[in-house]
Amino acid sequence: MKRILTVLIVLMLAVSGLVFATGDAEATDDGTIVIGHTANNVGIDSYQTTHDQVFRDTVAALEGVSAIQLDAGGDVALQINQVEDLIQKNVDVIVIWPVNGKAIVPAAKKAFDAGIPVLICNSLIDESGYQYVKGFAGPDTYEEGVNAAVGMIEALDGEGNVVELMGMPGYVTAIRRSEGFQDKIADDAPGIEILATEPTDWNREKATRVMENLLTKYQNIDGVYVADDNIGIGALNALKEAGRAGDIVMTSACMFGEGYDAMEEGFIYGSVYQSPAEDAKKAVEVAVKLANGEEVPFWNFFETPVVTKANMDQFERPNF
Amino acid sequence: MQLSVIKKKALGFAEKQGLVIAFLLLVIFFSIASDVFLTYGNIILVLRQVSILGIIACGMTFVIIGGNFDLSVGSLTSLTTVVVISLHDKIGPIPAMIVALLVGMLSGTLAGYLIGYLKLNSMIITLGLLGVIQAVTLIYTGGKYSRLTDPDETWFGFIGRGFVLGIPFPVIILAVVIIIFAVILMKTVFGRQLLAVGGNQVASKFSGIKETRIIMLTFIASGLVTGIGGIVLGSRIMAAQNYIGEGYEFQVITGVILGGTSLTGGEGNIFKSFLGILIVGMLMNGFILLGFPYYTQWVAQWVILVVVVWIDIASKRGKVLA
Amino acid sequence: MKKILRFFKKKPIWAILLLLVVIITILAPEFIRRRNLLNILLQSSVNGVMAVGMTYLMINGFFDLSVGTVMGFSAALAVGLQPLGIFPAVIIALLAGAGIGAVNGFLVARAKINAFVVTLGSFIGVRGLIYIYTKEDALIGERMVFSDFGSSSVLGIPTLFIIMLVIAVIAEFVLRKTPHGRNTYAVGGNYEAAENAGIRVNRTVMVNFILCSLAAAVGGVLLASRMNAATPGLGWPDQNLMIIATVVLGGTSLNGGYGSIVHTMGGVLTIGVIQNALNLLNVQSYYNMLLMGIILILVVFADSRFKQARNALRVTDS
Repeated sequence: MKRILTVLIVLMLAVSGLVFATGDAEATDDGTIVIGHTANNVGIDSYQTTHDQVFRDTVAALEGVSAIQLDAGGDVALQINQVEDLIQKNVDVIVIWPVNGKAIVPAAKKAFDAGIPVLICNSLIDESGYQYVKGFAGPDTYEEGVNAAVGMIEALDGEGNVVELMGMPGYVTAIRRSEGFQDKIADDAPGIEILATEPTDWNREKATRVMENLLTKYQNIDGVYVADDNIGIGALNALKEAGRAGDIVMTSACMFGEGYDAMEEGFIYGSVYQSPAEDAKKAVEVAVKLANGEEVPFWNFFETPVVTKANMDQFERPNF
Repeated sequence: MQLSVIKKKALGFAEKQGLVIAFLLLVIFFSIASDVFLTYGNIILVLRQVSILGIIACGMTFVIIGGNFDLSVGSLTSLTTVVVISLHDKIGPIPAMIVALLVGMLSGTLAGYLIGYLKLNSMIITLGLLGVIQAVTLIYTGGKYSRLTDPDETWFGFIGRGFVLGIPFPVIILAVVIIIFAVILMKTVFGRQLLAVGGNQVASKFSGIKETRIIMLTFIASGLVTGIGGIVLGSRIMAAQNYIGEGYEFQVITGVILGGTSLTGGEGNIFKSFLGILIVGMLMNGFILLGFPYYTQWVAQWVILVVVVWIDIASKRGKVLA
Repeated sequence: MKKILRFFKKKPIWAILLLLVVIITILAPEFIRRRNLLNILLQSSVNGVMAVGMTYLMINGFFDLSVGTVMGFSAALAVGLQPLGIFPAVIIALLAGAGIGAVNGFLVARAKINAFVVTLGSFIGVRGLIYIYTKEDALIGERMVFSDFGSSSVLGIPTLFIIMLVIAVIAEFVLRKTPHGRNTYAVGGNYEAAENAGIRVNRTVMVNFILCSLAAAVGGVLLASRMNAATPGLGWPDQNLMIIATVVLGGTSLNGGYGSIVHTMGGVLTIGVIQNALNLLNVQSYYNMLLMGIILILVVFADSRFKQARNALRVTDS
């Protein structure tokens, strides 16, 4: 009896679901634009949090534009679900900050098939997904790595031993910053040897530990390349304790507020100015154009200028 | 006859000292493979790197002796780190530290109430708390980094970075916490009661009220040391990320289990927990020194965990398989 | 009517689910659209398959922390081995999962090591295997057929959900009607009594560990087919705990001996509905975490109250 009742109720739920379920066709075309956005992992660092906030503020300031802003929390599977939910919501444009550039491709294809334009922001989608997206808005992270290498070559005069602390393995930004740096060193400075490349997962405490261990392993480090200033400050803690801060050259691929201070004190030689506010504004700007059916170029980089002690007074201290 | 005596003795020795043997084997392996491993500088480094995990492990040992788990220590580390850093500039270092410790104990009290008094399953409850605490952390900071405005102007950094007589201060804190917890476990009524409660919860000769109180206290202790861990971590990096302690729970539990604390409760040794944590830390350090990819250490952890626990169990029952 | 009430009282998960559906529909009418409901089914299928395996193991009185990374490993193999052909790749991925389950099962059943230790070890160790195999990079499938399969549907219902449903139905049948199912309940209910009754306890435990890991591997293959890719981070760090929580939501006892696949499905759908609703309602992810944590605590609390009520009933009966 009990089992029959169980089955009955389950069936009832299922049937009522399908009976009451309304149809699909319900394009809400009242002239306003709805942007659907799924972010990578808001809250994991200030950059992403600021990006999320500026994105909200920018959208709020625009007349006739609203946004559904989701956060994948660093989970690729959840992000795919969110893209599906956004397609379901029938938004006018979907902006994706991919958790992973490769795994997001089929989801982008789904949006493409549903006729919703997709804009990739901040972190690139895999090349196999280019055909399904309208464009990319964000920083040129490869170029950032190259610029950090230029600074390193300059500071070491093309000779020396360098260690690299990269971000999260498998994450496009981390990979491209690493590739940009390594390619430039290989092309322009055969005298510089990269002794080790260690991941830090963008985690400051791990960066300190890894740097401590590297200082123990190698007595002859001349330079450290860090994928962003959060890692940089973590590494700097280890360098200061070992009495090597300022003597070991550090260059970074992304400047944070604390890195700005460290540069002032002479601990960081060169860095790259990448503003989350510019990043978010660019994404909204391009997304609105796409929603209006305008054609946009595929690449929409915003400026990421090189900062050194010489020109740092032209830049405001980053607020993150 | 003689052979079986030797075998028995060997098994008995392995039972008592299995962990120490595993530890020494690892030390020998790493010092042969890397010539910097056994230097004073590197030893100090490893000790300091494990100090935070070691401090948290003391509380975890109590919780596990009581027959429970605490999966919330990772996100609680994040929360207490964020609390101490964000309040440092507003109310001064000492009040900030007190608040962080209170937050830790409050969370422990909540867990202890749910698990000790309401007898709810510790694994699911602390898993739920893990999510709640992480969310509270994010809502509190609004997702931003917390950091000190002027890290060079405060003595607060001494806790995580200072040295006394060449020994890092976090290591001294760790030693003090270990000694206190070991004394509590071995020399006090509470310690004996805890071992008795964990060893046989149903037939424990203590009244139900005492038992619930003891379980609750283990969780408060866990919250307290996690607060200490958060303070040391905050001082070490002078900043706080919202997810900084993510995954600590698994490392700490791994270390405590390696130390031979029985998961069915009633058995445990603080010093051995520390040795277990040290093995985890040594793998981390040793694999970087050897230039192995960092992820191979996870496979090594798997093998070592299974082998050490297996040897421990096998020697107790005198048979490899049950 | 009374019977329905009693049913909901005994199995609160369905009442919770129904209540959620009503509330969410009022807050976000698009929730009840057919395509959205199908979306939820699709999104629940990976967790659903994994929860089926975990239900077996938990009825048996154990749990498995390694399912998350086993899922990730199997996904990586299913994508990375595609040059061998999709079929061989999937088979190898499933075998690898079953193999890890066999190791877990052997260590628990024969060596009598605590299941928490064993599966904590493989949870971490298998993560190492994923990174070694993928070399820390995401893998991408070369065959679009694989992902076409992942997003296909039969009669309008997502194929992946149908696969999950078939697995769930077979699993429920095996649990109710076969010796292995009865043994699983018996061993979980009272280990020693089961042993004394002549049940081959070790074999039962071993089989359930293998089934649990196999289900996780199936979940990995299904997930991989949705992305046609696999990332090294898949299943880390808390998928394992999420799956265990789902099964607990469905009313399976944490001490073994009690539970059913049908109600586990209730847990799976509830989690799926909540996550979908949070997306539709545009709730910030922080509150998502908060909500999940609170629900988990409440359900365990409710579960223990019901158990007490049951025990009280038993006392007055005797």
